[in-house]
Amino acid sequence: MSDPILIGRPSDAALGEQLLGTTWRPGGRGWKLAFTISGALMLLLFALVTYTVVTGIGLWGNNIPAAWAFAIINFVWWIGIGHAGTFISAILYLFEQGWRTSINRLAEAMTLFAVMQAALFPALHLGRPWFAYWLFPYPSQMKVWPQVKSALPWDAAAVTTYFTISLLFWYLGMLPDLASLRDSAPTRRRRIIYGLFALGWNGKASTWRHYKAAYLVLAGLATPLVLSVHSVVSSDFAIGLVPGWHSTIFPPYFVGGAIFSGFAMVLTLVIPARAVFRLHNVITPRHLESCAKLMLVTGLVVAYGYIVEWFLAWYSGNAAELYQAWIARPTGPGRLAFYASMICNVLLPQVLWWGRARRSVWLLWPLSLLINVGMWSERFMIIVQSLLREYLPSMWATYTPTWVDLGILAGTLGTFTFLFLLFLRLVPIISVSEMREMTHDLVRGEHHG
Amino acid sequence: MADRVLAEYETEDALAAAIRRFHGEGYRRLDAYLPFPAHEVDEALGGRPSRLPYAIFVFGILGAGGAYFLQWFLVGFLYPLIVGGRPPHFPLAFVIITFEMGVLFAGLSAFFGTLVVGRLVRLLDEVQGTPGFDSATRDRFWLEVSMRDPAYDSGVARRLLAETGALRIEVPEVLR
Repeated sequence: MSDPILIGRPSDAALGEQLLGTTWRPGGRGWKLAFTISGALMLLLFALVTYTVVTGIGLWGNNIPAAWAFAIINFVWWIGIGHAGTFISAILYLFEQGWRTSINRLAEAMTLFAVMQAALFPALHLGRPWFAYWLFPYPSQMKVWPQVKSALPWDAAAVTTYFTISLLFWYLGMLPDLASLRDSAPTRRRRIIYGLFALGWNGKASTWRHYKAAYLVLAGLATPLVLSVHSVVSSDFAIGLVPGWHSTIFPPYFVGGAIFSGFAMVLTLVIPARAVFRLHNVITPRHLESCAKLMLVTGLVVAYGYIVEWFLAWYSGNAAELYQAWIARPTGPGRLAFYASMICNVLLPQVLWWGRARRSVWLLWPLSLLINVGMWSERFMIIVQSLLREYLPSMWATYTPTWVDLGILAGTLGTFTFLFLLFLRLVPIISVSEMREMTHDLVRGEHHG
Repeated sequence: MADRVLAEYETEDALAAAIRRFHGEGYRRLDAYLPFPAHEVDEALGGRPSRLPYAIFVFGILGAGGAYFLQWFLVGFLYPLIVGGRPPHFPLAFVIITFEMGVLFAGLSAFFGTLVVGRLVRLLDEVQGTPGFDSATRDRFWLEVSMRDPAYDSGVARRLLAETGALRIEVPEVLR
């Protein structure tokens, strides 16, 4: 590890000026343009969700046999993206990886916004989303309860817990910075607003002690969630008998894919944010390289998943499984998704074995976009392609999404970007108190070591 | 009537040295305000580690136990329905929700527990509005000496603060 995790040794005041300043320096023309475009896409999402709720999900392209299509693909894709945020903020915290400090706030924000997009889809996919509360065991005079032996309430529990824990972890970590903003923001209005959100944080040593204990416990609680949420999501498929779904490799395969796509999204967001806010001293090539290495590792887990799927199909000797894995996917109606996932998820990430590629933003950024495309294609391949080629050839069909499907996907991309742009301007995108602690530790290490 | 003296220090080491000096003079009711959790200050202050994790553990167990009980109560007892050959009380199928609710309740208690034991979410606190105290969330380290400390003596305290290099000394007005 030659590259440092922090360039220079800025003072506490300088760190505050640089990292808190992102909230009060005016946004440029590019930011306004991005804000307008993503805001327009968010309005498109609102319109199409309203249209879907009022008319029904017949507006979408899914039908028997492909009853699960865009909504479930988007759900799995978005929630997978969230996983890298939790991986960075929780698992790397427990392993005391110093480089996580510069990017954990941003990655956690990505998680929250991605889970928000994801949660929309199962609710809409119910067909009658106004009954979504039936998923929760509320006291009802009908005396009919959620069937907790089916996968849907598991998803509801897993996603609700994941969102809540991510939100609490993010907000707790932000309290000291909100207090810092309360005390240093330039206008009175900002001071009042940040003061309210800071919940009266005053940096008392005894409060810090409880805070650190709670933060560590939350990191420990979020750690199993990284592994469990996507395992539960994958169980939705694995408990079905559909060829291409019914496989025990699914939990690790999905978790690997989730972290893989999440790191790609982290790079997609970090690289422009670093350039726009000139954060090169705190987000160094070391951070990009570490993300790229994890992307390479999790990409190999995904490739292993593909290989095991082929192997198990062959080993099972089941004609439908064999046909699904060996013929339908590479030659069937959705073959484009198959080739996109092989190229973007298996072939292209191998360039990351090369050290210079891992540090080059010009290579990493396009690669991260392609990996996101590849992972979306992979979910298309697993979900739709499997349903199109089930046991009975008389059930075989093709699938075409409608403009509403495409519009809703674009709308969630816009909403995600919109929320992220708001985040960039409203709160410090890098944890200032953690950066101060880290800088002091680094300085101390240099003086005494 | 004022009940505490606040003093600003330039570095965490200066503050930690001041805390040790006050401890040496018999002061016990000291606290500090810091822009980040500095280990030196924590060590100098001493005190026992937070016991919040025990409470979080209890809430987590209650959440998990409650979730398991509720699942059994609803689908194993109140409205037993056999789907896919699974018996009404089917522990394996209850594992996921039990685990998730354990994590959820532990997480909620970690967050709200911090607010409660850290005495946050108050409209006003004792040190708010002290002139220059803004720096405590920026780059300065503040010592708090309680006047209720049995060892407290105004003259001695001021002399110690001056000797340990306090940049400024403030006596906040009590707001009640």
